[in-house]
Amino acid sequence: MYNNRKECVAMLLAGGQGTRLGVLTQNVAKPAVPFGAKYRIIDFPLSNCINSGIDTVGVLTQYQPFELNQYIGNGQPWDLDRVNGGAFILPPYMRAKAGEWYKGTANAIYQNIQFIDRFNPNYVIILSGDHIYKMDYKKMLKQHKDTGADCTIAVIDVPIEEASRFGIMNTNEDGSIYEFEEKPKNPKSTKASMGIYVYNWPVLKKYLEMDEADKTSSNDFGKNIIPKMLENGEKLYCYNFSGYWKDVGTISSLWEANMDVLNPKSGLNLSDSTWKIYARNLAETPHYVGNNAVVKNSAISEGCYIDANIENSVVFKGAVIKKGATIKNSVIFNDAVIEEGAEVNFSIIGSNAVIGKNSKVGSKEGHCINGEWQIAVVGSNVELSENSVVTEKDMIGG
Amino acid sequence: MRGNAIGVIYASETDSKLNELTIHRTSASLPFCARYRIIDFTLSNLVNAGIISIGLITRSNYSSLMDHIRLGKDWDLSRKNGGIVMFPPYVLNNSTNFQGQVEALYGIKNYLNKRKEKYVVITPANIICKLDFVDIIDKHDKSGADITLVTYKTSSSHVSTNIVETDENGRLKDMMLTTVPNEEEKQVNLKVYVVEKEFLIKLVDEAYARGQMNFEKNIIMNNINNYYINTYLYDGYVSVIDHIKAYYDASMDMLDYDTRKEIFNKNGKVFTKVKDTAPTVYLKHASVKNSLIADGCVIDGVVENSILFRGVTVEKGAVVKNSIVMQKGLIMSNSSINYTITDKNVVIKSDRNLSGHESYPIAIAKDKTV
Repeated sequence: MYNNRKECVAMLLAGGQGTRLGVLTQNVAKPAVPFGAKYRIIDFPLSNCINSGIDTVGVLTQYQPFELNQYIGNGQPWDLDRVNGGAFILPPYMRAKAGEWYKGTANAIYQNIQFIDRFNPNYVIILSGDHIYKMDYKKMLKQHKDTGADCTIAVIDVPIEEASRFGIMNTNEDGSIYEFEEKPKNPKSTKASMGIYVYNWPVLKKYLEMDEADKTSSNDFGKNIIPKMLENGEKLYCYNFSGYWKDVGTISSLWEANMDVLNPKSGLNLSDSTWKIYARNLAETPHYVGNNAVVKNSAISEGCYIDANIENSVVFKGAVIKKGATIKNSVIFNDAVIEEGAEVNFSIIGSNAVIGKNSKVGSKEGHCINGEWQIAVVGSNVELSENSVVTEKDMIGG
Repeated sequence: MRGNAIGVIYASETDSKLNELTIHRTSASLPFCARYRIIDFTLSNLVNAGIISIGLITRSNYSSLMDHIRLGKDWDLSRKNGGIVMFPPYVLNNSTNFQGQVEALYGIKNYLNKRKEKYVVITPANIICKLDFVDIIDKHDKSGADITLVTYKTSSSHVSTNIVETDENGRLKDMMLTTVPNEEEKQVNLKVYVVEKEFLIKLVDEAYARGQMNFEKNIIMNNINNYYINTYLYDGYVSVIDHIKAYYDASMDMLDYDTRKEIFNKNGKVFTKVKDTAPTVYLKHASVKNSLIADGCVIDGVVENSILFRGVTVEKGAVVKNSIVMQKGLIMSNSSINYTITDKNVVIKSDRNLSGHESYPIAIAKDKTV
């Protein structure tokens, strides 16, 4: 049929606005939010794809796409600049008769049926751009083929007391799914959906078309497609994933995931050479650590100038942290400047932000209320004047 | 005059004097300043001046250089029009390695002829500086000179330093090809030349026909009275990496804020091969002062006045002072190194103590375990 046939095409949902990240997603889509001293969230699914042998990835963008589009570019950093396949940015577009925004996750894929059909794949894997994890999709695909499923959903065991925050899969002994419950009050299982689906493409296409025809549908995988497939008795299986996985949809969880980079017991190992996480990075200079610096238990990237006390913190490229400043339990994004004598605790400081001399950001103790860390956030490009005070959980935007 | 020149880089000028560090590589691919290779500076200077047609002449040990450059993408030199072309020996239609720079240039005549650029910039690969080739070519053009050679002032010298004498307008009057090492300040040839392409080919043809293979001696000195050879005095930071002490001193110069600012920010950035290494992690016992640290290191010991390349591990209780530790070096617990350069993959085992001296840093060859 087509010469450029692919067995499996990945569709990466990267249009999320990420409202819960507040000022951090004021100007960028959530998948482009920085993570782990030199990465962006989207580096994880993209690297997982190429490491799993999937070389055709459609990236569905919608909200604030410019920075994300520029970041992905031709896909070269992830080895996704291919003659046949590669990375494709798929924004909503105008058709002959009309055009519309992506109404929901399922509608976003529906609008790109033609794109997927060009590769005539057997399988489509649906990914989302807001999780930090390392996963071999090849294994999931193999199980999908072995079980003869129509759809396989990756799940992770969560503690029972947290299960009601997730979409929970109730399964039979053979791993087949008989029920899906979105945020159940009384969860029957601890298998939480990771938002990663492998579908037989002809089956998914049929359901997307049916879903689109249903005017009452909210065009969402979790709310509409999966329940419909279960209702019709299609074969849905769980794929059990164990390992590090974190939804970084909130300030607290984003901060926690960054702290996990520093914790050797967290299971998030970024320096594993057998499963590299790739990122677009320019040739920055090595970072310089000055005579007044004391740096402990921290991750520091290239191009930084550090002459201060830094503890339990993650510092992105090009950040400048001057003499007499103290940074603890914090995340400093790229090219931020922390002036002399400033104290930053339990905070996230945005890209290019400036924290004026002797300012105090965040609380020294760090409080966790109902599972939410009370993190102070200073947005990108914000300039705080001397002696500014930002208390915990405050969010300063541009 | 942006971009109207071909760059020709000699990659193998000084290998024999860098001993342990060039057993496995050319001086051009010698690691420098935590994440670079020496050739990155010259390549970046050319690219930053819009010179995107670059021929790279190598002589021996060039596999690490080829691995570094690949298609030139990291310097934006993977182009349909122009880009970087490598000339290893034996492409010269010759059964032997080339005898000198003149023969090497003669061997790439076809390449030069095919290109449309007006000028050729000839440069060695072993210099650390931020030359502005736009300005150099402009001045060459305005002066009406046949050849311009770039010079700088320095008080250090050794046997192969070319001391330059000029008239009040900068025209080359005389040049000493060998020098008795001394501490006086002198104007010295950086061995970077600008010359019109057609004229260069004529000079090379004439010299080659007479079996004259040395560029400085046979093309510059022989023609000092025949042609107008001008000098361009560069007053920025210059280090010529032609022996181990020079390599060590230039590395330590990078710990100085102003020098670093000049080398990495003036006239554009320095490009290098990008690798996907995780950020550097500092552990509980880390104590780092006045040092440059690349990505991918794990530090739990003491590091002072030193340069750590990618993927170096300094274990708890280890002390690294005044030293350069290249890629994937492992300094094990309770060992110490001082005034030491360890090449790639060197392991210093626990409780070993090594020390060179400021005047004579010691170098440990690649893959060795102490």
